[in-house]
Amino acid sequence: MSSREKQNNVVLVCLSFILTYFLVNWVRIYRTEGLNSEAIFRLWWTVMIAAIILIIVGIIATMIGSNIVHAIKTGKEDPQTSVEDERDKLFELRGEYASSIVFSLGVVLSMLTYVLGQPPLIMFSLITFFGILSGIAGSIYQLVLYRKGV
Amino acid sequence: MPTRQVRNNIRKLRFGNNEMTQEELAEKTGVTRQTINAIESAKYSPSLELAFKIALVFGVPLEEVFTYTVEDNQAETKEKLT
Repeated sequence: MSSREKQNNVVLVCLSFILTYFLVNWVRIYRTEGLNSEAIFRLWWTVMIAAIILIIVGIIATMIGSNIVHAIKTGKEDPQTSVEDERDKLFELRGEYASSIVFSLGVVLSMLTYVLGQPPLIMFSLITFFGILSGIAGSIYQLVLYRKGV
Repeated sequence: MPTRQVRNNIRKLRFGNNEMTQEELAEKTGVTRQTINAIESAKYSPSLELAFKIALVFGVPLEEVFTYTVEDNQAETKEKLT
């Protein structure tokens, strides 16, 4: 497994965790306080900051961990931890393309709820949900490409 | 309808060059070992630049490393049946 693949796995796990956290807390807020804008915006901030920190820390920890494992196994430093070649770039591009499709569809769907008379907070929450989901979709698509090939 | 696929002789050429490992070839061409593995197993078609780099490492013309072969599906199916 290349370092890019490992990073993808980390992003996927982190985003799945964040999405679960967002959904669970959103439902909790909705049940206890209803559509309270202050609570939902606080949740949004928490989710965004947690996502950034988790992904950065996760990637750094994975890189350090895999370097240590490689050094223990072979006795020398892994020369390929920072190598990002044309295949990685191509898969990243395709992953971003898949992400943008999911996010675009999500935004349209979210706006549709507003058009159908739902409160703007529902639209905002759905956009956040599809934002995280698009990241997951992109990561999954990249992992599929790494496994299946093109 | 016959389909075409990029095939390669990288594995054969590696073994012909002092049993060069995938990692060594990857280092010489500036890609990851996984990319060399994907090219070898025809899971990824490299860019023209990378293809030339690989040929340059082995010191052979490009057409000795990569071939664009016709794969006749019907013939293949018949072959499998017999």
